[in-house]
Amino acid sequence: MSIEWIGPVLASTTSIGVVYLLGSLGEIYAERSGILNLGMEGTMAIGAATSFIFTITWGHTIAFLLAGVFGMLMGLLLAFFAVSLRLNQITVGLAITMLGLGLSGFITFPTIRKTVLQTLNPELPSTALETQSVPMLPPVSLSFLKEIPIIGPMLFNHNIVVYITLILAPLMWFLLFRTSIGLKIRSVGENPGMADALGINVFRIRYLTCILSGAFSALAGAYLILGFQPFWIEGMTGGRGFITLSLIILSTWNPLRAVFGSLLFGGIEVLQYRLQLFGLGATSPQFVLMLPYAIAVITLSLLSLESFRKKMSAPATLAKPYYREE
Amino acid sequence: MFKLERRMHISRKVSSIIVFLSFLLAFFVTGVLFYFLGVNVIQFYSVICSVFITPNLLIQAVFRSIPIILASLGLVVAFRMGFWNIGAEGQMYLGMVAATGIVILHVFYEAIPVSLMLAVMSAASFLAGGAWCLIPASLKAKLGVNEILTTLMLNYIAMLFVDYLVYGPWRDPEGWGFALSVPFPDYATLTLGGHPSIAGIIISVAVATLVYILFKYTKFGFVLNVLGKSSEVAKYAGMSVGRATLLGSLISGGIAGLGGFYVVSGMIGRLRPRASPGYGYTAIIVTMLAQLNPWLILPAGIFFGGLLTAGDALQSLLRLPSSAITVFQSVIFLCIVLAEFLRRYRIVLKRWKQ
Amino acid sequence: MEGHDVSVIPLVELKGIVKRFPNVVANDHVDFSLMPGEVHALLGENAAGKTTLMNILYGFYHPDDGEIYVKGKKVRIKSPADSIKLGIGMVHQNFRLIPVHTVWENVVLGLKETGFILNKKKLAEKVKRVCEEYGWNIDPNAKVWQLSVGEKQQVELLKLLIRNAEVLILDEPTSVLTPQETKNLFKALRIMAKKGRGVIFITHKLEEVFEVSDRVTVMRKGRVIATKLTNEVTVEELANMMIGRSVLFKLVKPAIKKGDVVLEAIGLKVMGDRGVLALDGVNLRIHSGEIVGIAGIAGNGQEELMEVLAGIRKVYSGKVFIDGEDVTNKGARYLIEKGVAYIPSESTRWALIRDMTLVENIALKLYRSRNFSNILTINWRKLFEFSKKLIEEYDIATHSPSKLAGILSGGNLQKVVLARELSATQDGKIPKLILAAYPTKGLDVAATEFVQGLLLKYRALGSAIILLSEDLEEIMMLSDRVAVISKGRIVGEFSPTEKTVEEVGMMMVKGNTALGGRKVCLS
Repeated sequence: MSIEWIGPVLASTTSIGVVYLLGSLGEIYAERSGILNLGMEGTMAIGAATSFIFTITWGHTIAFLLAGVFGMLMGLLLAFFAVSLRLNQITVGLAITMLGLGLSGFITFPTIRKTVLQTLNPELPSTALETQSVPMLPPVSLSFLKEIPIIGPMLFNHNIVVYITLILAPLMWFLLFRTSIGLKIRSVGENPGMADALGINVFRIRYLTCILSGAFSALAGAYLILGFQPFWIEGMTGGRGFITLSLIILSTWNPLRAVFGSLLFGGIEVLQYRLQLFGLGATSPQFVLMLPYAIAVITLSLLSLESFRKKMSAPATLAKPYYREE
Repeated sequence: MFKLERRMHISRKVSSIIVFLSFLLAFFVTGVLFYFLGVNVIQFYSVICSVFITPNLLIQAVFRSIPIILASLGLVVAFRMGFWNIGAEGQMYLGMVAATGIVILHVFYEAIPVSLMLAVMSAASFLAGGAWCLIPASLKAKLGVNEILTTLMLNYIAMLFVDYLVYGPWRDPEGWGFALSVPFPDYATLTLGGHPSIAGIIISVAVATLVYILFKYTKFGFVLNVLGKSSEVAKYAGMSVGRATLLGSLISGGIAGLGGFYVVSGMIGRLRPRASPGYGYTAIIVTMLAQLNPWLILPAGIFFGGLLTAGDALQSLLRLPSSAITVFQSVIFLCIVLAEFLRRYRIVLKRWKQ
Repeated sequence: MEGHDVSVIPLVELKGIVKRFPNVVANDHVDFSLMPGEVHALLGENAAGKTTLMNILYGFYHPDDGEIYVKGKKVRIKSPADSIKLGIGMVHQNFRLIPVHTVWENVVLGLKETGFILNKKKLAEKVKRVCEEYGWNIDPNAKVWQLSVGEKQQVELLKLLIRNAEVLILDEPTSVLTPQETKNLFKALRIMAKKGRGVIFITHKLEEVFEVSDRVTVMRKGRVIATKLTNEVTVEELANMMIGRSVLFKLVKPAIKKGDVVLEAIGLKVMGDRGVLALDGVNLRIHSGEIVGIAGIAGNGQEELMEVLAGIRKVYSGKVFIDGEDVTNKGARYLIEKGVAYIPSESTRWALIRDMTLVENIALKLYRSRNFSNILTINWRKLFEFSKKLIEEYDIATHSPSKLAGILSGGNLQKVVLARELSATQDGKIPKLILAAYPTKGLDVAATEFVQGLLLKYRALGSAIILLSEDLEEIMMLSDRVAVISKGRIVGEFSPTEKTVEEVGMMMVKGNTALGGRKVCLS
């Protein structure tokens, strides 16, 4: 087998990995503060659907920003139910996923989308009203770096969002582990009672991380359609929100490890396409696709073992609402 | 000033009223939401109503509600014992796999007598669904692994496993390359009384009765009830918590597996990818709406089966996407979750002191 | 105000503090003051109201009445965050630390001075410096889970010291410490006092009062009995103030000839929740028709003893026999079937389910009995009738057994537990062994009398009974034999007529130091 295929494979590994990485950056913060956002899948779908529509009307940049705003609204909904009303995060999250998947399908349904688009911008040509595809974000090729073997094509021939995400990951790591706000977020997830006693507003922190998680999930959805697969299909997120949750478990709630984890999961997905492409006999793409989920179950089990539990377990109050006593 | 007061206990009656009012609230919220999205709300609701008053459509609704009902009945068992099983979807897929496996065994090896086919298939589905649920249950019982994430992840693994089978070894050799299993022969399909929904109703009512009896009369059901309220008290009373968790989840997953059996044997007549449009998730809403009461599961399930049916009608009559129904479902879901808040807290009007 | 210079403004002054909880007044017009530079011991039995009082000062509870002055200024403390701003800090019995974080992260959390970016090196150094002042040797970069219990406590104190808290409240700080760690803690407390801080030291151990404090305030049943300079009181005086005498009605206790040995425990060692031995070689023998009262200050292993005899806690080493049969680690179910009835402490929480009906609560153990079930199903009709009978017999205030347990008052709930445990054995016979942990706690006089009468009735019927009580008088009055437990050992066993309440109180507080840790087993 020739070596030429390695370049494109690595490039698309990064390209798909960024979907997971972008989504995980916000959700890591949420989980670190004790919020499990099972609404990620639906929020991603909302991000993809809104950015699809707004790209047609106002272009990429505004589409990204607005997708983020809609994501924040979804996060706000989660925060209200899970933090203020202290309801079960699992059911709220599933409901939000359902809502997101439903709404994303609804607003992109051809007849409805047409009305929406016409309302937003009456001057759109009819082709724009009907189209299922969007212009992809242009790659910004860092020509001198691109020539480096292997790493070059893997990292330096992508669109701007990929670069921003890859820079954001270490920044988010720094924010979480080296600043006072990061310490507050982590402490709120481990022991909200203690944080509260030291004058930290647990509710405000959790609202913040919920909104952050919503925003990043939606941005991941926006990137999915604008940067990776530039045409709309209902349900195009295809469980990627849940894969992101697996990724976070695998990276033990650490944004830097999430970079490697997302590349691994991206690689798994690309490998699966390749297997289909080459029709590699007995090897079945489905088993490859199962890997992220299986990895999550195994990691969760390992983290429950006595020897791991102390060192790097899940945030102690993950998915548990905080009641101030008395 | 308003003050929230935690309720120490709540009677079943008050609780039911709160849930029912929240259910009605969902109609209002959905109406407002759709109004702003430019939908004719009155037409929307009249299409949904028509499903329940038109005999043909009602039969269709019942037909589509049966897998939901079975999955919900399974969830009743899990939720009552405090096991947050959101893996009914995956357990159903395993049920489908087992039923199809038996058919394939028979078609190619004639291993099972024809007269026993349906019995063997349903038993196999029950065991397969139950076994799938035993994975997260034993991880919880032995290691304390949170069952919420594991059951969720196992759903996707089960779904992909079905994909693997129908794209791979179980693909019908005479199926023109489509990802489908062999069609089930007549003796492996539920054709009792001319329409598969009749067999479905019988199975659903029978299972509901059994679940009702389990919790109302049996010792094991009582243990599960206590376990769901407080595992400490269960230990105090000398109940074996680990064994009850395992056996209870086996039953829970098993009933969902039966739902899978019904999907392939009663509805589709073969195994195909994505054979469930999310019955297992809808079942969570149904179970919460029915307040874990096996009898209420039946009407609640039929309502949601009706919504699925209405989805088709909306498409043809109002040119609305079927995702409108998903939106409606999710709003109902959120409202029922909200009901949990009202059940836990009493809103008290208090005069401001000091 | 007694015993200190009036010209100095107290760090903290509490005046007329009242705090009521459902059924109980935890603080009844309590006055308390803390001077700069003193270690002030707050002494009292369990549930005397010490911790409640300090939780009020700490802002965790809000008083129903009374005033708080900090350095002469009247303040309202709404939350722990407020009290920290006022320079008041508290170390709870259960540490509030994050095990997966480093020491310095735990210490500086929420500090304004750290700035946005945390300078790890500088902060660690700062923590280290404070450590050195008190002679502690903790690595600021270590994860908290790696530390010993004593070191964790030091981290808790560091949290307060780095915030320059002038008032430090320690809630029974020595209960988890080794003798060496205790010594170190006391040394540190003296240094803190020397620097002008005030330390409030909650305890029930008399020797510690003398070891570390300048002044002592004794509380009993929600009230302050006295505040004294430590060097002006004797151990005996303090013990009397602390234990006190409650005026009780006399019970007629008929003489009963005790029967065969029902329970025998030999060399029982049991692990507590914190992973240290809660019972350290307990020997106990109880006959039928006998009440054995276990006297001891709370937290000395008596609850673990009950749990292990009920089969809920595992035996670490040693043996338990019932009727001569080895039942060590046979599990709760087996013991229930052997006829062990168990009324746990806080029974309304651990032995009842509020969201279930009275019948269901009564059926909690009974559902397995052949009288009320077959192999598969429960005979609810029969249980319903049985519950009705019990409700009548125990005079439980309810209309029907199908009402939810949660609507009943605490006293009635306790009756439900008693009814189930005493009358509802598997084979319909009376229980062989009754484990009654604080069965009259929180009950009014009538209900208390009722419960005590019941215990005597079952004693007459031939049950063997182990009784825990916070009320020493109650133990002395009901028991045929009293065993004093201290630090997981039985340090004395005698007939209640042999000793006075005061003498027993001394044994409880002095523990095995007084008796040299000798294990005594009479029978």
